[in-house]
Amino acid sequence: MNTQRIGAIFEKDLKDFMKNMMLLMMPIIPIVLALIYSRLGGDEGLPIPMLYLIVGVTFSSVTASCMMTMMAEENEKKTLRGLMLSPASFLDIIIGKSLVVGLMSLVALAISLFLVGIEPFLNVQATIGLILLFLFFLFLGIGIGLFTKSIASTSAYLMPVMFLFGFTPMIDFLVLGEDNIAITIADLFPVMQLIKMHDTNSWTSIGIVAIWAIGAALFTYICFKKSRTDD
Amino acid sequence: MKHTIEVNGLRKVFDQNAAIKDVSFFVKPGEIFGLLGPSGSGKTTTIKILTGELGQTAGDVSVLDVNSHLFGTADFRSRIGILSDNSSLYERLTVYDNLKLFCQLYDAPLEQIDVMLDEVNLKEARSKVVSKLSKGMKQRVLLAKALIHKPELVFLDEPTSALDPGNAAHIHRGLQKLNEAGTTIFITTHDMEEATALCDRVAFLDKGEVQELGSPDTLRYKYSTHAFHVETFEDERLVIENESGNADKIRELIANGEVKSIQSDNPTLGQIFLKITGKELV
Ligand SMILES: Nc1ncnc2c1ncn2[C@@H]1O[C@H](COP(=O)(O)OP(=O)(O)O)[C@@H](O)[C@H]1O
Ligand SMILES: [Mg+2]
Repeated sequence: MNTQRIGAIFEKDLKDFMKNMMLLMMPIIPIVLALIYSRLGGDEGLPIPMLYLIVGVTFSSVTASCMMTMMAEENEKKTLRGLMLSPASFLDIIIGKSLVVGLMSLVALAISLFLVGIEPFLNVQATIGLILLFLFFLFLGIGIGLFTKSIASTSAYLMPVMFLFGFTPMIDFLVLGEDNIAITIADLFPVMQLIKMHDTNSWTSIGIVAIWAIGAALFTYICFKKSRTDD
Repeated sequence: MKHTIEVNGLRKVFDQNAAIKDVSFFVKPGEIFGLLGPSGSGKTTTIKILTGELGQTAGDVSVLDVNSHLFGTADFRSRIGILSDNSSLYERLTVYDNLKLFCQLYDAPLEQIDVMLDEVNLKEARSKVVSKLSKGMKQRVLLAKALIHKPELVFLDEPTSALDPGNAAHIHRGLQKLNEAGTTIFITTHDMEEATALCDRVAFLDKGEVQELGSPDTLRYKYSTHAFHVETFEDERLVIENESGNADKIRELIANGEVKSIQSDNPTLGQIFLKITGKELV
């Protein structure tokens, strides 16, 4: 790891991000959603599941999606090769990019939450939960970015990620029975666990989200090993 | 350091197909060494192995006294420069920002950006966005990028294959200047004129093996029939062997004022390649 090289990658990716219309659109999605919800919320503020829906949308449509798009583009345009042949290590490259994606996610999340109001929402436990959730989506984005060779093919992976992990709270609108298997499974998903955490103040939920994050890290590691071995 | 590059018994197999069967050669410090061969002969694969992008199946490779298992280190990477085939730039960023990135990655001073832009004659394109550049200009930026950290050794994989002759000549002059300043250059090409003009020594690669190796002059002498080709004013073309018995015959032709032109047989590298491998270089 080398901070100067990480800084160089960060600077390059930030400049590139600001000139990429496709990437710039992504943070708009949660912000627009927050704008709509803030009109619906009334005086009492948004219910917790709605807040976490915004969080889920931010992390899936900004964090995971920008990360995989940026990596797929480096693969597609063959620029990754130039970076890999330079003294920068793969970790330098990933950290530099993650910092840009992290910054954009933070900005999008801050604006969205500011629009809907966050008073009952942010405490230490919730912040830890949000960081773990961010890491989960970040690793998911890196892992997918490692094997997608083109920007076009990322959308095939992005949709399931958004609907399964980003929009999980929406499952309540599907009006399935309480003991429906889909609901039982969905309840274990990271965003649902964070909602639960708010009701129960339980650290078990944080633990489950941590397991999701570790699982995503493992997925990234496997993708990394696989992409190194096919010459 | 005895040799800048040493390759012994190199072999590379891709899913049961040997792209490189058994290749050995060395490159001396300060020389321009050309690896020549038709497309698919394994030139890019060789460069990828020499720069640590690919591992070899068998054989010993060392570059700048560094053994191939250490090619992944930052120290080794900062000592070599690479212009690979289909390298590319960040299209949305300016020329300056692209070069700045690599300056920082290679820990070179930022002043090098303007020095290199001057070197490749692109000062006026400094603040232009890369997507607005012509192909020749992009290739020159890539060359500047490969050289920005003043490497001891540069690898160039077909640096002029996509360029028009004017741009190619420009790059050739730059490479000669660089070499005069002491940089060792390893270049692959299928352009025989380029090789003849630039290289101190060339290796012919075909069927995964080095078929011939030497300086262009030595090879051209070795594969010459040494005969004289005489063209007369009657449009006759005579081939006269370079033997003492033929001296009078030539003297007579000249004395009679019949000779329109006279040349010794001096095959081009392309003709020699064809002779050795039965293949045209394309
Ligand atoms: N990653 C790879 N996987 C499988 N075969 C490859 C790979 N890279 C190159 N080859 C094969 O190796 C041979 C040499 O390719 P290459 O080194 O690119 O030749 P050149 O650069 O001389 O045109 C070709 O037959 C090519 O198809
Ligand atoms: Mg090639």
